[in-house]
Amino acid sequence: MALTNDPREAARGRADEEAAQGTALVTSPARIEIPDSAPSDDDLLAPFGMEEHPTGGFHGLLEVIPTKADLVIDLIRANSLWPLLSGLSCCAIEMMSTATSKNDIDRFGMFPFRASPRQADVLIVAGTLTTKMAGPLVRLWEQMPEPKWCVAMGTCTTSGGRFKRSYSVVQGVDRVMPVDVYVPGCPPRPEGLIYGLLKLRELVMARRGQWRTYVDRGPQRVAWEGDVR
Amino acid sequence: MRLLVERFPDIARDLWTDEDTVEVQLPRDAVVETLRTLRDEPEFGFYMLADAAAVDYGIGHHFEVVYHLYSDRHPAWLRVRVPVDRANPRTPSVTSLWTGAMFHEREMYDMMGIVFEGNRDLRRIYMSPDYRSFPQRKDFLLPDDAADSSAAGVNPLERPETWDLTTFSRELTSSAATYPPPDTQVDVPAEAYPHGQESADKSRPA
Amino acid sequence: MTAVDPETRIPDPIDLDRAEEARLRAAAGLAPPSPPAGSEYAGFELVGVPDRPLQTEREREMYTLEEGEMLLNMGPQHPSTHGVLRLVVKIRGEMVTDLDPVFGYLHRGIEKLCENATYTTVLTYVDPMDYLASMHNEHAPAIAFEKLFGIQAPRRAEYIRALVVELNRVFSHGLMIGFLALDMGGLTPILYAFINRDDVVELLAAISGQRMLFNFFRVGGVNWDVNDEFLSRLGTWHGTVMKSIGDNEKLITENEMYGVTGPNLRASGVPFDVRKAHPYSIYDELEFDVITQQSGDVYARYLQRIDEIKQSLHLIDQIMDKMPHGPVQAQVPGIIRPKPGRAYGAVESPRGLYSVYAISDGGPTPYRFRMRDPSFISLQVMPLLMPGHLIADTMAIMASLDPVMGGVDK
Repeated sequence: MALTNDPREAARGRADEEAAQGTALVTSPARIEIPDSAPSDDDLLAPFGMEEHPTGGFHGLLEVIPTKADLVIDLIRANSLWPLLSGLSCCAIEMMSTATSKNDIDRFGMFPFRASPRQADVLIVAGTLTTKMAGPLVRLWEQMPEPKWCVAMGTCTTSGGRFKRSYSVVQGVDRVMPVDVYVPGCPPRPEGLIYGLLKLRELVMARRGQWRTYVDRGPQRVAWEGDVR
Repeated sequence: MRLLVERFPDIARDLWTDEDTVEVQLPRDAVVETLRTLRDEPEFGFYMLADAAAVDYGIGHHFEVVYHLYSDRHPAWLRVRVPVDRANPRTPSVTSLWTGAMFHEREMYDMMGIVFEGNRDLRRIYMSPDYRSFPQRKDFLLPDDAADSSAAGVNPLERPETWDLTTFSRELTSSAATYPPPDTQVDVPAEAYPHGQESADKSRPA
Repeated sequence: MTAVDPETRIPDPIDLDRAEEARLRAAAGLAPPSPPAGSEYAGFELVGVPDRPLQTEREREMYTLEEGEMLLNMGPQHPSTHGVLRLVVKIRGEMVTDLDPVFGYLHRGIEKLCENATYTTVLTYVDPMDYLASMHNEHAPAIAFEKLFGIQAPRRAEYIRALVVELNRVFSHGLMIGFLALDMGGLTPILYAFINRDDVVELLAAISGQRMLFNFFRVGGVNWDVNDEFLSRLGTWHGTVMKSIGDNEKLITENEMYGVTGPNLRASGVPFDVRKAHPYSIYDELEFDVITQQSGDVYARYLQRIDEIKQSLHLIDQIMDKMPHGPVQAQVPGIIRPKPGRAYGAVESPRGLYSVYAISDGGPTPYRFRMRDPSFISLQVMPLLMPGHLIADTMAIMASLDPVMGGVDK
């Protein structure tokens, strides 16, 4: 066995030996390091000598910008979060008010309230969640494709609110599904909901390129009284 | 009101009135016939059932079904109270007179557990079909996790250690069967309220 | 829930348990079950818990399918069910033959909570019931409680009450028109309706501090007197509202007594309005007409709302003219313990007769607090209205009835 200082040489030699002895181990290819935090545009562009032009756009050596597809896709996602058209009670009226002319959340790419959970990104739980409604609502959540986010709108959905003592109210929607943003208020003003949704957008931007699924997050549902059978 | 006394001498002793309500009490067996008369006779003309509610007067007492009727010929609401036995809560249905009583009766069945004989669709309306309690009965206590917190004391209901249900039931059963029961306020020892609360109403656990 | 035939239906395990338990107990000669000694319920006996039949007559009729029929489930999450209503529709082809509304997806137990709250707190609990008409929700208990206490709100407070209640009626009817148009396929009217609604709720927020669940009424008066911001906003809004209603009109434009009240009833030609029938507050001093329509269809219900908005504006004019000076709150102790008694208070909400039946036993909380919500009763004409119509008409007919699920489910 040849002596060498190069570890790759040594490994290759060891592999040859092991192959000869029939005890070869599958060696993994060299690992590509991906930074955990999203790199800024400047960091990505610096090696290519590109810089931002004062009048807009980039100029430099390259005509393409190298980046990760996830970052671009999540950038698009963050700027077009489509909520599910689903209201439970009083807060739903304020949610609609948020969507209509005066407080137009179309400005943030959030207008198209989708009627089908399969096309929606955000579930805005607007209103009191009762035990009978918990089953259908969790089914809606499970039908939404990943990645998905949940906004709890109003005190009833954050803690049960004024109905906390009731015999038929779920005391906070986070008992049945994971929640990303809580918007307090009874009901919150439309400005409050817009602020919450902008916080959600910040959250999506911050987790750009590294979202995880909700499969092993949040409490698991067993059975609810009101499950549609 | 005079009309009522003339037509139904039996119920005259139970008549009661204030500025815009006339109240009568009917036995359970006579309710459908009397209400039909009240609805159909032109001199009464109480053709609209404004409300139907159930009241629970507590353990040892009775249920009561209360109908509010409207007539455009009389300047008052008519309130008809029908006592129902608590051990056997059955009363005839008035859906044959007013189709609109259907949901009222379903709600009373759901919330109080009163069975309306003759109702075609007596099932739970609010709670899910496999729910077993009747939430608006007075012996249904609200679940409350605030009882465990150190900040308890807003309402004695939230502090089970202050409940004295045996005293409560004894008092209810010993008092006369008239409603309302005499003042059932119980003196609470001072050490029962360590959080500085001065007084609490302990008379009605639910 | 799916269609089942009573013979093949698998019984509910709970029914089996109960039947089995009853059979075993009867065989052993035992009494009905009672709570174990030592438990906190030991003082009580479990009496009068009736058994429920496996299937009621109506259920059997509804869920038995004939040749060519099928069941269609709408809701509880459906864009046009106005909340969490669930409708089971039996259809033959595209024709509705029967319909079964299923409630309870928003049942919050408000009556029970109110029976455990002081009289002042009750007025906050009733707010989210009919959440498009919170002012009316508070008005009925305030009337009933004032009867219980034997107090009278000052006249200025009564005028302010009538004012805010009519403002509430305007935006509630406006939203109904918007939703009706939305459910029939027009997107634009809802945008206009919400612009109007935002104007009115900001107006009411100026006087009460909240946009939706106002909590403005107090027992024996109202919370605040009218302030400058309210008056200036009212002036601005009043200048534009007639034009916007005209715009809305340009943009869009017989049943039996089933207990239905309110605009739905008046649209069928019956002139029943609680404000005339049993005048409460100051409505006997004001002049207004009870509008009726004769045809009783969806279009009549729409016209009815438009006309009632005009009447409400007429009323607001009169109220602002006649409003006297004075206090807005009667002298009321902090914790109120009324004498034992019963009281019934009824108001005309945007959806019909909204009434409260309150019983006091002398304690600080109501002994029994019962609310009759008009949209709960309106919904039970759905199975009577729908048969014979197309499935697509369900949306329009339901929107024209204008149910609010918070009120239906309490």
